[in-house]
Amino acid sequence: MANNDSGHGGRATQPQDSALYEVLKGIDFERRELVDKGKGVGLFDLVKARDGSYRCYSCTLCERVCPVDCIEIDYCPEFEELPFDVAAERAAALTSLPGESCGAGAACVMGEKPAGFMPQIDIKLFDPVIAGIRAGSGLVEAFHATQEAFGYLPREALEDIAEEMKLPFSRVFGVASFYSQFRLIPVGKHVIDVCMGSACHVAGAPLVVEAFSQELEIPVGATTPDRLFTLQTVNCVGACALAPVVRLGDDETLGRLGPNEARKLVRRLRKQEVGA
Amino acid sequence: MSPAVKLTKIDKALRAKADQSAYLAGDAKTEIRICAGTACHAFGRVALRKAVEKALAERGLTGKVAVVETGCHGFCAEGPIVVLRPQGLFYPRLKPRDIEEIIATSVVGDGIVERLLYKDPATGEPLAHEKDIPFYALQERIVLALNGSIDPYSLDDYLNHGGYAALAKVLNAADPQSVIDEVEKSGLRGRGGAGFPTGKKWRFCRANPGEKHYVICNADEGDPGAFKDRSVLEGNPHSVVEGMIIAAYAIGAGNGPVEGYVYIRHEYSLAVERLRHALAQARERNLLGDDILGSGFSFDIRINQGAGALVCGESTALMASIEGRRGMPRGGHIRSVAHGLWGQPTNLNNVESYANVPWIVNHGREAFAAKGTATSKGTKIFSLTGKVVNGGLIEVPMGATVRQVIFEIGGGTLPGREFKAVQLGGPSGGCLPASLLDEPIDFESLVAAGSMMCSGGMVVVDDTTCMVDFAKFFLKFTAGESCGKCVPCRVGTQRMLEILERISAGEATIDDVERLEPLADDIIEGSLCQLGGSAPNPVLSTLRYFRDEVMAHVVQRCCPAKVCRPLIRYTIHADACTGCHVCLGACPAAAISGERKQAHTIDQKLCTKCDTCRQLCKFDAIPVETGIFAMAEGRRQ
Repeated sequence: MANNDSGHGGRATQPQDSALYEVLKGIDFERRELVDKGKGVGLFDLVKARDGSYRCYSCTLCERVCPVDCIEIDYCPEFEELPFDVAAERAAALTSLPGESCGAGAACVMGEKPAGFMPQIDIKLFDPVIAGIRAGSGLVEAFHATQEAFGYLPREALEDIAEEMKLPFSRVFGVASFYSQFRLIPVGKHVIDVCMGSACHVAGAPLVVEAFSQELEIPVGATTPDRLFTLQTVNCVGACALAPVVRLGDDETLGRLGPNEARKLVRRLRKQEVGA
Repeated sequence: MSPAVKLTKIDKALRAKADQSAYLAGDAKTEIRICAGTACHAFGRVALRKAVEKALAERGLTGKVAVVETGCHGFCAEGPIVVLRPQGLFYPRLKPRDIEEIIATSVVGDGIVERLLYKDPATGEPLAHEKDIPFYALQERIVLALNGSIDPYSLDDYLNHGGYAALAKVLNAADPQSVIDEVEKSGLRGRGGAGFPTGKKWRFCRANPGEKHYVICNADEGDPGAFKDRSVLEGNPHSVVEGMIIAAYAIGAGNGPVEGYVYIRHEYSLAVERLRHALAQARERNLLGDDILGSGFSFDIRINQGAGALVCGESTALMASIEGRRGMPRGGHIRSVAHGLWGQPTNLNNVESYANVPWIVNHGREAFAAKGTATSKGTKIFSLTGKVVNGGLIEVPMGATVRQVIFEIGGGTLPGREFKAVQLGGPSGGCLPASLLDEPIDFESLVAAGSMMCSGGMVVVDDTTCMVDFAKFFLKFTAGESCGKCVPCRVGTQRMLEILERISAGEATIDDVERLEPLADDIIEGSLCQLGGSAPNPVLSTLRYFRDEVMAHVVQRCCPAKVCRPLIRYTIHADACTGCHVCLGACPAAAISGERKQAHTIDQKLCTKCDTCRQLCKFDAIPVETGIFAMAEGRRQ
């Protein structure tokens, strides 16, 4: 079954012989052997659910994680009849319960969110970004400029960037979703960044994150329904002498913050908002 | 015109342009230098500056006493820091209300405010001068030499401290090949951690033909617990720019066009701002751009910001990111010095490597090679953090022992706590136990000990840190940062993490522990880049030096450091509890009950083990217990 003569660095393809078997056990070897690399295409197909609809949510994850970059999702003009009803799939994905969807959850920009979730963007703010691209800025820099203008990367902006740079949208979206700093959905008024560096970790940062999470009643990475708070973690802000460190917005850094102070901070900010 | 004459001429012309009034150290006038590093900023240096300005204005001293905001002084644990020059008086941990007294006593008069001085933690003696404080006295600063004394926004300040002299020297006297020889023979090795000889890299890059050569500075310091590159860029951005221009000259002069990039973390906003400012100033004075200082050599530097991906610190991923692709590394068989950015020969060095170059050119390779050990020359900057008294940024000669760094400069662990381990090199490095404290710091001996120089992060942990939890933290970090390109790293780290999760939950078997090592070897073997190739290091070093502690989780099902939540239990000691209600009011789970002035109790079913009550208790009445009983109760929940 296994084609040992493929000559790929002489590495045995028998799974149990491989030193990497333990690592690779997440991969279904028997299935993998069905794929004849020589003939290549056509062996990967979209799986259908019982009712005949496709299970694909167009999350583009397959394209993003493919270790050998062999998948590229693109608009295909030959198939004007789309293979499945995208609008209905999107609607289904958005109404599905947690765990039922593809897992991309709130990060998914492929579908429109319920009314009011995605605010209208002022496209005028986008002009400097286009000007920057024309002046030779790279894709990542263009994203930074966009995020500075809107606070996140709206889908329209990504489409415009793709058009301006003459890149496939999938590529632009792939890059945007690769970097953890780029946000694909708008954030709350107060962005709380808890530092998760090693110095902060030994000083008890996980307890601080938990305190915030409990007090705000949201998981890390989410925004409160009233759009006041977004809770995030950052790798290391480099202020290790102040551990555990919390950054509030872009300019305020709070040091030596315990779980109790964290709760008090949220209560104080809430009070401020009510008063305002 | 002989080269020497031409050198002095260019150097003079450069320095003549410098505004001498910015430089005050030679005069009798006083300077107030406020540290404006990130830590001191967070400690409130803005308020401090306002207080200083107000106090000076009240006395009519505005403009007569210079107020300078400098880069990081390094002693971050004692922030915010103010140093008075020329006396060198060092005032740590200042509040705005202290300023009035300092101005009255030390600026107007020539006394010392003893109350505010730094106290030697060993003897309690107040130490007035920077040079007397052990933290500074035992360091040897090359790269950080000017960090606390110049204004990072002032090119003049840098020029007046001898800045760009190395560049003038190189542009005039030296041919590119001899610059490369100088750096190569100095023994400078890559300060990003891998330790590849810098001069050799330059030589390879120069030798490779291409339409254009690229010189990149890697300032994507993503490792948690490391901030040396940030501090160098914040404190002395021109030294890095100067080093890059020299590198570009060595690689590109007479060899086609060269272009420079600095790839810097977006999180380092202050460093980006200061670097941008420095580049603009350098362009203004023709230190960058076309025909630099009339030498006929042209070079410019662009800033490229990262976006929160650790893997972009890997050289090929970094180049992919500059090119506007996902930051995914490629195989190591294609060398960047031949096919790097946009397929052209590319030289990539760390911030600290570039910052060393001007010093080497100015002082000669012998002076540099005289420092350090046989294989590792010069000095190395470490970010000393964690459970240590004097946290901050330190620079020591290679070959100093870990003990010297932690106990002599760092002042040892916090009072009443026992040293357990030091984590070197962040998520790619490993932990060294107390028995290896006398290990000299150089590239080879750290690797032999199962750790790595890496980015120079040094996190000290004491007996309150669980080594399993700590290893899990690093692995979780690398597993999350894995770019997903190759399976051993993406899936393998996840599998290892699952095992560690089981260990810290008290659910692991001995088989699990035994599986960790071969799994780690496979990940190291099979990963494309060094992120995967070094990801298992924290786990391997934990198994090597702290196997007993790991086995305690597995066999006795207890966590000796009392950190792993499923294995611990919070109780209230009835004799010690005064019934003050503080913990009761603060408990987020309402798990504590009891009357005022009566001993409280914790309902184990409700307790989320958030540690709030223990931190708040003033009477140490809430001990943490560990053992199988705790787990049994956890299960019952």
